[in-house]
Amino acid sequence: MNNNVLEFENVSKTYKMGDETIKALDGLNVTIKRGSFKAVMGPSGSGKSTFLHVAGILDMPTKGIIKINGKETQKLSSKEQAKLRRNEIGFIFQRFNLMSQLTVLENVMLPMIEEDTNKALELLNKMGLSSKADKYPGHLSGGEQQRVAIARALINDPSIILADEPTGELDTKNANSIMQILKDLNQKDGVSIVVVTHNQASADYADEILHMSDGNFVDNAN
Amino acid sequence: MNLYKLAFKNIRRKKLRSALTALGIIIGAATIVILLGIGAGATSEVQEQMNQYMYDVVITPTSSSGNLLMEPQTVSKIKNMSYLYDFREVTVFSQDINNTKVNFEGVNDWKEIKDINGTTGVVINKDTSDKLGLHIGDKITVNDQQLTITGISKPEQSVYVYLDQKIAENVTGNKVSAIYARSHDNPNSTVDEVQKQVNDVSVVTKSDKVADLQETNNQAMLFIGIIAGIALVVGVISVVNTMMMSVMERTKELGVLKAIGFTNWELKGSILFESGLIGFLGSILGVILGIVGIIVFANMLHFTDYIPQMMPLWLIGGVIIGSTLLCLLAGLYPAISASRLNVVEALRNE
Ligand SMILES: Nc1ncnc2c1ncn2[C@@H]1O[C@H](COP(=O)(O)OP(=O)(O)OP(=O)(O)O)[C@@H](O)[C@H]1O
Ligand SMILES: [Mg+2]
Repeated sequence: MNNNVLEFENVSKTYKMGDETIKALDGLNVTIKRGSFKAVMGPSGSGKSTFLHVAGILDMPTKGIIKINGKETQKLSSKEQAKLRRNEIGFIFQRFNLMSQLTVLENVMLPMIEEDTNKALELLNKMGLSSKADKYPGHLSGGEQQRVAIARALINDPSIILADEPTGELDTKNANSIMQILKDLNQKDGVSIVVVTHNQASADYADEILHMSDGNFVDNAN
Repeated sequence: MNLYKLAFKNIRRKKLRSALTALGIIIGAATIVILLGIGAGATSEVQEQMNQYMYDVVITPTSSSGNLLMEPQTVSKIKNMSYLYDFREVTVFSQDINNTKVNFEGVNDWKEIKDINGTTGVVINKDTSDKLGLHIGDKITVNDQQLTITGISKPEQSVYVYLDQKIAENVTGNKVSAIYARSHDNPNSTVDEVQKQVNDVSVVTKSDKVADLQETNNQAMLFIGIIAGIALVVGVISVVNTMMMSVMERTKELGVLKAIGFTNWELKGSILFESGLIGFLGSILGVILGIVGIIVFANMLHFTDYIPQMMPLWLIGGVIIGSTLLCLLAGLYPAISASRLNVVEALRNE
């Protein structure tokens, strides 16, 4: 199997705003190896979120090639893209984005293809949430909600976790606990992780910090 | 988890919203069931009436003669015509009893008078009994003849006394208000023949009569259908509206669903399922409401004999299937707009 979980070859993303074109990504080249844990930092508007979005096939690049597990994502049909998102990518958002009408357990099981309650409960247990399985997200703290979101991202055993400021809404204590969970997942289970963050302390959990500026990595260390 | 379960939960989460959406469908479905139900009841009454006319021609005195009864000579003249046979006479007249106008009707076939308490012969309806304080065994005087009441029939909101046709002819001196007869000849030439030989009568064929009744009935059904259709369209518009609002409200949620790997088809399916479910459940409630409405109306109008005919299976099944399909259709545009959402923009939505 391909040793690179995520590859960017000369990827650009431009937005047209009237006469102006904004280069959110500018000829980006990067390779994320299986089992690595990268943090992405950079000023606001430098293109960090855009990078995660095109990596996670939530958006299409204007130019360049993106491969997940060696598969070119732009060449897939929208159905195949959805399948890849479901099976190979786990997204974690700053705002948790849980379904308020579903219980914690149902939220975790939402992306499951074959329902396996035990697996979901095990994951919740791992996140220290076994007592919250039947609660609704609205009754959970921010840190707890983010742990539910991590469990949801992990439920289909993805190749890579993409997290956009997962600690942005949390206090230091909860932020550290979330980063520790991600680090454990990376070290014990070998899950590849890319985390975008503004917080140096959070970024320090990663193997390597990539610095982004004006749509490209400045100290391209791959 | 599949999205159909999620659709169920969406309906349950927004109980009030779903109920209000469904309200349009409930009212629409109930209106259709009530209006078309009454129409169906009326149609079967008309049909029943038509089936009673197993006669080719009906001869009645012309209203211009001012007299609503035919004299015995006229009657016997008609009955002597060689091309007519199988006669049935009906005598209808009215007379005041204790200052109340009472309608008398000669009856040939007592099966036509429903729910008689007592025996046939001289039957007053409940209205007559209540208004005049008459009971079985009491005597009434009709054209100086005393008749003993033998039975009481169901209320009709007008004062009627049913007399055996023989008794009716007896008390009127063998006068008749209509003669039904069959004809050996073509009914149309019979009409001409009778009118040539007898003065002051009008003759219509059964087909004229049937066409008349059917025409009236068709017009009524068309009118009813249009009103019911408008009711349903309003209901469907409310579903389009709600589903559209629901999609806009849930923009972020739909973005998340896409982000965690649901396909466009799954999202479309769940929205269609949700609107179809609203239509299905709403129409079932509407049908129940409509049936209750029909029973209430039927009792108010003393039309209860036709209650089964007022709830035909095609109507109930049609309303449920039709509403569900229309609501599915109503969910189509919201479903397509949901599947076209840009995930990144949807996620930015708060
Ligand atoms: N839909 C869009 N239309 C136009 N411009 C956009 C759009 N999305 C992003 N941009 C622009 O692309 C650039 C990169 O945006 P992006 O969200 O990736 O930055 P970021 O590094 O994630 O910033 P932050 O740290 O504030 O989250 C910015 O200049 C932004 O204004
Ligand atoms: Mg960002």
